[in-house]
Amino acid sequence: MIWKILEVLIFPGALFILAMSLFYEWVDRKLYARLQNRVGPHLAGPFGIFQPIADLIKLLSKEDIVPAAADKFLFTFTPIIAPTLILFGCMFLPIAGPSGIISINGDLIILIALMSLFTVIIYLAGEGSNNRLASIGATRAALQLVGYEIPLTLALLCGAISARSLSLRGIVEAQTSYGSWIIAGPQIIGFAIFIVTAQAEMERTPFDIPEAEQEIVAGWSVEYGGRRLALFRLSRDLELFLLSGLGATVFLGGPSGPLIQGLEPFLHTIYFIAKSVVVLVIFTIFRAIFARLRIDQVLSFSWRYLMPLAILLVIITGVVA
Amino acid sequence: MGLISRLIRKCRAKSPWILLFDTGACNACDLEITACLTPRYDVERFGALLKGSPRHADILLVTGPVTRQARDRIIRIYEQMPEPKYVVSVGTCTTSGGVYWGCYNTYPGLDSVIPVHAYVSGCPVKPEAVLKALSVLVERIERGDI
Ligand code: SF4
Repeated sequence: MIWKILEVLIFPGALFILAMSLFYEWVDRKLYARLQNRVGPHLAGPFGIFQPIADLIKLLSKEDIVPAAADKFLFTFTPIIAPTLILFGCMFLPIAGPSGIISINGDLIILIALMSLFTVIIYLAGEGSNNRLASIGATRAALQLVGYEIPLTLALLCGAISARSLSLRGIVEAQTSYGSWIIAGPQIIGFAIFIVTAQAEMERTPFDIPEAEQEIVAGWSVEYGGRRLALFRLSRDLELFLLSGLGATVFLGGPSGPLIQGLEPFLHTIYFIAKSVVVLVIFTIFRAIFARLRIDQVLSFSWRYLMPLAILLVIITGVVA
Repeated sequence: MGLISRLIRKCRAKSPWILLFDTGACNACDLEITACLTPRYDVERFGALLKGSPRHADILLVTGPVTRQARDRIIRIYEQMPEPKYVVSVGTCTTSGGVYWGCYNTYPGLDSVIPVHAYVSGCPVKPEAVLKALSVLVERIERGDI
């Protein structure tokens, strides 16, 4: 029992996931800066590795302002629910073994539902702050969800179909028993669709339309400062971890790899982190080389090209598998 | 000073997020501040990010002369920022009026409107000077002077 609690709280549970997600934010920011020929954060700790932690503590220690016009309930609870949802989602990731801390049949579906729910929370957060710009941002977030959600689901389902399992554990085990990763073969297109739509899910450039700084200040998060903003930033980092981990699990074999007797959890973790950092690097390069699109461009792109491609891929996968 | 408050001050010094407010400057100072974000100066080295919303920011950079029109807006933006907040007056015309000194519609300086923690002079300012002001400011924040 005590081991189970430690597993949930420390490794590979909450503490480990939080630390890794802050580390991922650092990798993302540093690489992004290097791709732009800048240095990036570099004064907080060695190579600026403590930058996300410094940001977090600073935000947590700031004054807490609730605008008079805001909906108190939504303004208080959405920042708490957002990181909780994503942290709960991260518990499904198979980090230190072929199955996550929670592993049930169909947890892939639960993860997809959690991610959509997160967007709903963002919508509520934006509308709850009762600000014009936040309201525009929130509406854009919801509108964008209509565009990317179905291709994202279909891309992940393609992985599930080729592994013939809807649970992450089953997907990992199928890749171990086939001896090759799902990305080998037609699923490379699925992986590409996943990368594009996950970027939209995380509202990163070129899909950072809900937060477009130059047009609508900070989008849905415009009224959130201090510790509420800290929680939202934390949930973004957790989402980065969740989606890179999910991409690594479904398409790159997750924590599987050559094992040595006795060192399995350690090696599993190393493989998982290495593969998800690869996905993270792809995310970052994607973010660095594109500029922001308009909301109508995103919607027409995803409905005209991504969606038929994803449906075609499902059919191909169904025939091949 | 306890350990926690030392840690908090250190973190504040390591992540100064910037909000740029232009009262109607001739734009030269704004361009020089924007130059701080470019690869050559890269203010993100200090952990600084340019933020759009006053609620997210720690440091308010004000450029341009403080006109009667802009005064109320500056005060409103300043009040929207959560504590602790710092203000840097960028450019001669923000600091003292500069070329607009003695005009019927400008105030003699930003510090007659809101409290100011650092001044950068120059018309326009040099990006190095802005970086210097920021680094002096974060040093003072870390020491706990302000
Ligand atoms: S200080 Fe000089 S360059 Fe800067 S805004 Fe004023 S007039 Fe323009």
